[in-house]
This record gives sequence, structure tokens and C-alpha cells, in this order.
Amino acid sequence: MASSLIPAGDFRTSYAVDTTIFPTVTSRNFAIAGVVLCALAPFALNDYWMSMLIAIGIYGIAALGLNVLLGFTGQISIGHAAFFLFGAFTSAYLSSKMGVPAFFAIPLSGLVTALVGLIFGLPAARLKGLYLAIATLAAQYILLDFFARAEWFSGGSVPASAEPFSIFGYTFTGDHQYFYVVLAYVVVSFLLVTNMMRTRDGRALIAVRDHYLSAEIMGINLTYYRTLSFGIAAFFAGIGGALYAHYQLVVSYEGFGIERSVLFLAMVIIGGLGSVMGTLMGTAFVVLLPEAMEWLSAALRGGVIDQTLGLKNNITFVREIAIGVIIIAFLVFEPDGLAHRWHQIKAYWKFYPFSH
Amino acid sequence: MKITTLLGSAALALVLGASGAFAQSAIRIGHLADYSGGTSDVGTPYGQAVADTFAWINKNGGINGTKVDIETVDYGYQVPRAIAQYKKWTGSDKVAAIMGWGTADTEALTGFVAQDKIPFLSASYAGQLTDPTGAAGKAKAAPYNFFYGPSYSDALRAELTWAAEDWKAKGKSGAPKFVHMGANHPYPNAPKAAGEALAKELGFEVLPPLVFALTPGDYSAQCLSLKSSGANYAYLGNTAASNISVIKACKTAGVDVQFLGNVWGMDENAAKAAGDSADGVVFPLRTPVAWGGSAPGMKMVQEISKISDPSGNVYRPVHYIAGVCSAMYMKEALEWAAKNGGVSGENVKKAFYQKKDWVPAGLEGVCNPSTWTDKDHRGTLTVDLYRSKVSGATDGDLNDLMKKGTIKLEKVKTIQLPRKAEWLGW
Repeated sequence: MASSLIPAGDFRTSYAVDTTIFPTVTSRNFAIAGVVLCALAPFALNDYWMSMLIAIGIYGIAALGLNVLLGFTGQISIGHAAFFLFGAFTSAYLSSKMGVPAFFAIPLSGLVTALVGLIFGLPAARLKGLYLAIATLAAQYILLDFFARAEWFSGGSVPASAEPFSIFGYTFTGDHQYFYVVLAYVVVSFLLVTNMMRTRDGRALIAVRDHYLSAEIMGINLTYYRTLSFGIAAFFAGIGGALYAHYQLVVSYEGFGIERSVLFLAMVIIGGLGSVMGTLMGTAFVVLLPEAMEWLSAALRGGVIDQTLGLKNNITFVREIAIGVIIIAFLVFEPDGLAHRWHQIKAYWKFYPFSH
Repeated sequence: MKITTLLGSAALALVLGASGAFAQSAIRIGHLADYSGGTSDVGTPYGQAVADTFAWINKNGGINGTKVDIETVDYGYQVPRAIAQYKKWTGSDKVAAIMGWGTADTEALTGFVAQDKIPFLSASYAGQLTDPTGAAGKAKAAPYNFFYGPSYSDALRAELTWAAEDWKAKGKSGAPKFVHMGANHPYPNAPKAAGEALAKELGFEVLPPLVFALTPGDYSAQCLSLKSSGANYAYLGNTAASNISVIKACKTAGVDVQFLGNVWGMDENAAKAAGDSADGVVFPLRTPVAWGGSAPGMKMVQEISKISDPSGNVYRPVHYIAGVCSAMYMKEALEWAAKNGGVSGENVKKAFYQKKDWVPAGLEGVCNPSTWTDKDHRGTLTVDLYRSKVSGATDGDLNDLMKKGTIKLEKVKTIQLPRKAEWLGW
């Protein structure tokens, strides 16, 4: 798809040029402009919008990990929320109980979560498809039960507290400042994964996804790459969780059940399997959809439709149903995800007015 | 075209600015409710009470003549929703205070409310919220969290105090056996350590806890364990729907045990759903009286109830009355703050420390006298224990069942716990 956008006469004469991160100069400029624009956002937006952007960033990093697993390696995990929470608790524990500054605690908890992910990824070496799904479901329940029992680690019924993020004695407080921490991690994470996909390891993951038997015949160690993919997925989930912990300053395992794991799957599928950029779009969609529905239901409340139908408090049920319907409609009409639609929009303007 | 757009946006800005100015003359507060989520069974009466009370306040002169602009949002017990809504309330035009709801939103927002200095009056009664300085060392300081009523831990302490007396009164010999039952979740686990510690102190034999999920299900296995363990007093830590499954299964299994409910685990609706298996369950109320009970303040509660039920016929469960009390404490705190430097979060917090044995005006006998200090947010240590009495089939309307007396809440005892420093924060 992307290759169709490269202008005629633009030939690649070396491998280095062929594997560049951004296929065209314009796409690179757009990416840089996007980051600059985000960096300026705190000057224009209020707390509410900053918290939305922070949520998209934090969940986007975690969803990126899941996309490496699901979209690039073709493995499934329905325990992603548990890894996210593990990262959050680890960072909270490191920062408040061990005195590790949040600056170091965040990457460290990514690594610790990656180790845990490797352990739970072991069944992936032997299992595929639905069987693997059930095995990862076990991870979700085992980890949540661990959090409930390990009071030294998670605080048990008392939420764990995390220290605020600070660097060189300067503490990042409030959404407007913390946003820059998240933005830095988003940029680094997305560049890392895009970069990984052009290395031998990245291509090996894709080979495992596309045809594992052929990949094995080509000399790719299936067990190694499948487990590695779990480790990478857990690493990013851990980073996302750690960022969440230092944003909220408290971590509770309330609300991190199976439904949150499914939400991560929704982000990846809606964004586009195997698309780095799509992950961010899918996350934005999943984070903003309930909010958009909330604005809509707030506008409806007390209006003509509300009064004629006598909705009152039931308006929230309508809101929840609408969210479900939109997701179903989305999957029916846009099965390849937002990334695919984005490419089509780009292609349309590229060939305008001769597109069909 | 451009000029019209500019003029249009300028006009819009003026209108928005003007409405903003109007909004500031009213006192803005937020209200998180759960009418549609996992805790909606008890969240609906409580949330309705808060909404009704503020509507009633606005009808009757507001806060020193100023109206309260309360925004009620049904967040469906979803943490991300609660956070987004909170950011909306603190984004541009900060709210003076928030009437919160359950464990999910209260825990997720503890860090934020302390940072933004916004008093958060929750209906989550976890012990760690009572420690505003963090001196107890059980959790991080929660300086802006408040709630009306005994904490989960204190309610269980009161039940155990009663159980020890009950054991003696019945003339039984030997050590009574106590067991904590509930899901492995922050809410049922909140009072576990406190309960088991006091049970040991009071001479109970504490059995290993029994786990059952927060959702309704088949809990025959748990009941058989309960039976074979020979427990005499069992604390049910979950919410109503799940507790009902257990007491029903245990009735079938023929378990002879005195169930002790928790504040959200048993009420009139739960007794109706459980039928005769709910007969005899002892549980704490946050108020000395239930709906229609004889207290001077009950008249005002019934007036408030007419806001959403003009007929005045609807029976309101215990959570409604607790909601009215919580909202009225907030009202009087806002009043004090308005008179003493304006309704900022810090002033509203200070307002909670002004009175000793505080009962909102007009609610005498309905709300237990409460005292908050800057070192101790345990408002009240008075626990009113009730017993549910079910004397027949519980089909039909709750209003009729309560009127006929098929379901009755019978007062057992009022326990006044000592304000022990070592019980603070857990």
C-alpha cells in the first residue's frame, strides 16, 4: 500500500535506503510535525484534553506491545491488562518502597514485566490459537490473584502509592507537565518498534506469523521468537503500566479484569493488525469513543428525544449499547483497521482528481 | 465570509464567557454515581439521594442563597470514565467538592484529589481513607477524602463486639469460631485484617478465610466447607447479589451459622431477593433508623424523597438515607466555607473540622453525630446493628412487603466503639 505513494522516478539504490523508517520525505516531516504539535498541546489544551492525550499515550504504548504479539507474530494474549498492572505495581513498589527514582523505575519495571511475560510466554512455544488464548487467560487470573495476596508488593486491599516523576530535583506535577514524560516514551517506543521491524528479528516475527512451517524451514527458531514476542509485548505493557502508576500516584487492581484485556485487543484490531501507526489510531478511537458518547448523551439529556422516549437514567444504557454497536459496525465496514482507511485517504488525495 | 466567521466566533466567545460568569455565581460540585454498572443495585438509591438532596437544597434557599450547580454523572463503575470526568471537573472551572461513589473511583482519584485539593466525599468506607496525615503508616495520607458513616473495619469491629456478647448471652461455652468470607478483591478484603485481629483479641477462634466471587454463582462448596469447619459467626464481605447466593446455598445445605453482613451487603432489596434465607442476618446501618423510623429528622428525609417521588409512597432503602446524610454534611460544609473565605477546596476541607458531634440541621436522630479532625477522618464510631426479619414469601412489590411487615429491619444494638489511635487507618 505504502509503496504506491512513492513518486515515480524515486528509485532505491541500496538496502539502507530501502529500509528507511519513513518511506517518503513528506511522511517523515509529517511525523516530526506531529510530535512538535503534540509538544505544543499543553499550551493550548485544558486538563481534560491533556488527560485524554495522556491516556492515549499510556494505553497506546501497551497496545503497541500487544500489536507486536498479535499483529506481527500472530500470537494471541488475553492477559495484557494483567501485565500492564504488573508494570504499574512494580514501578510503584520500586519508587515508594525501594527509593528508586521514577525516572529509573519506569524502564526497570518494563524489564521486570518482560521477564514475567517470558515465563507466561513459555506455553506459547507449544500452543497455538484458541489453546494459547486459554493459556494467557490463566496469566490474567494468576497475576490478579497474586496482587490480591502479595500485600508486601501490591498493598493488598490498600492501594499502592507511587512517587511522582522527577528529574534533577524537578517534579512533574499535573497533566500539563506529565504529558511530556508520556510523549517522550511514546516517541521512543514507536520508533523502537518501527525500527525493530526492519531488523532480522522483526522480519523473523513476521515470517512466524505468515507461515510458521516455512519460517522454521528457513532456519527461524520458532520457540525463541514466539517467546521473545511475549517478552516484548509484556515489556511495553510494563512501561505503559509504570507510566500509569506515576501519573495516578496510586495503583489499585480495581478495574483491571479481563474486560480491560479485551479493550487492549480492541485497540489493536480497530487500529489495524500489524500497523505501528494504526495502534495509536486504534487507541485514540477506543479512548475517545466513550467520551464522545458521553458528550452526545449529555447533549441528549433533557432534550426532545429524552422527553419523548422517557429515557432519563436509561440514557447511560443507550450510551453503552451505542459503543458496542459502533465497534461492531466498525469491524464490519472496516475490517482492516484505521491504518488501512488512512492509507486509502492518502491515496485518494495523491491521485486527485483521477482516483476512482 | 472571513469577517462573518470572525464576528461569529467573537459573539460565541462572548456568550460562552457570559455563561461562564453565570456559572461562577453558582457553586459547582461534581457527583459520580453508578446507575448502570456493577454496583448499580446499591448505587441507584444512594446516588438518587444525593441528587434529590441537592435539588431540595436549591429549592430551599441553596447555600446562603446561592444555588448549587451539581453535575451528576453515571460513570458505570468504570475507572477510566471516573478519571476523565474528574479531569473535566478540574480542567478549567474547578469544582468546589465532589460527591463520590465506590472503591473504583475513590481509589483511582485519591492521588489526584490530594494534589488538586478537592474534598472528595465518597461512599467507599475503606479504613485507609480515614488517615489524613499518613501517621498510621498503613497507606499514603488521604487528606481530602471524607465519608459519612463507620469505616468497613469499624463496622466489622462493632459486629464482632456484638457477636462476643451474643455468644455469652446465649450461654454457650468454649471459644466461638469466626470466619471471613468474600472475594479476593480490595472491597471484601478491606476490613479483613482489622476483623481477624479483634476477633482474636475477643477470644474467637479465627478460621482460615473462605473465598467466593463478587458475582452471583453456585457456592454450595463454600457452604459445605463452612458447615464442616463448624463456624459460628461468618462475615460476608461481598456485595448483595453475591452474598444472597451464599446465604441461599447455605440454607439449603443446612448450615447453622450467624451471618454478619457488611454495609453494602444487605438491605431491604437484598432481603426481598434472598427471601427467608435472609432471615436473621445481622448487618450495620450508617443511620440509627431505617425508612419511616421514629426520629425527628425523618420528616425532612421524606420531604427530600418527594423530589423524585412526588406521591411520597415509595419505600427508600437504607442507602438512600445514608446518601441524604452525606449530601447534607457537604451542604453545611459548603455553607461554612462560603462564609469563611469562599468555597475553595481548602476551605470546604476546613469546614469539615469546625464542629464536634455534628448533626446536619433538621436531620436529628437520622444522622449519627460526627466529628472530623485534621488528624482523624473517622467521622463516627457509632454503629447501629440491625437484623433482617423475613416472615413469608417475598414476591411482589417492596413497598407492600415493607408495609405488611413481611420484611422487617429490627434493631439489635447500637455499638459505640472507642476512638483508639491504633485503629486509625485500617
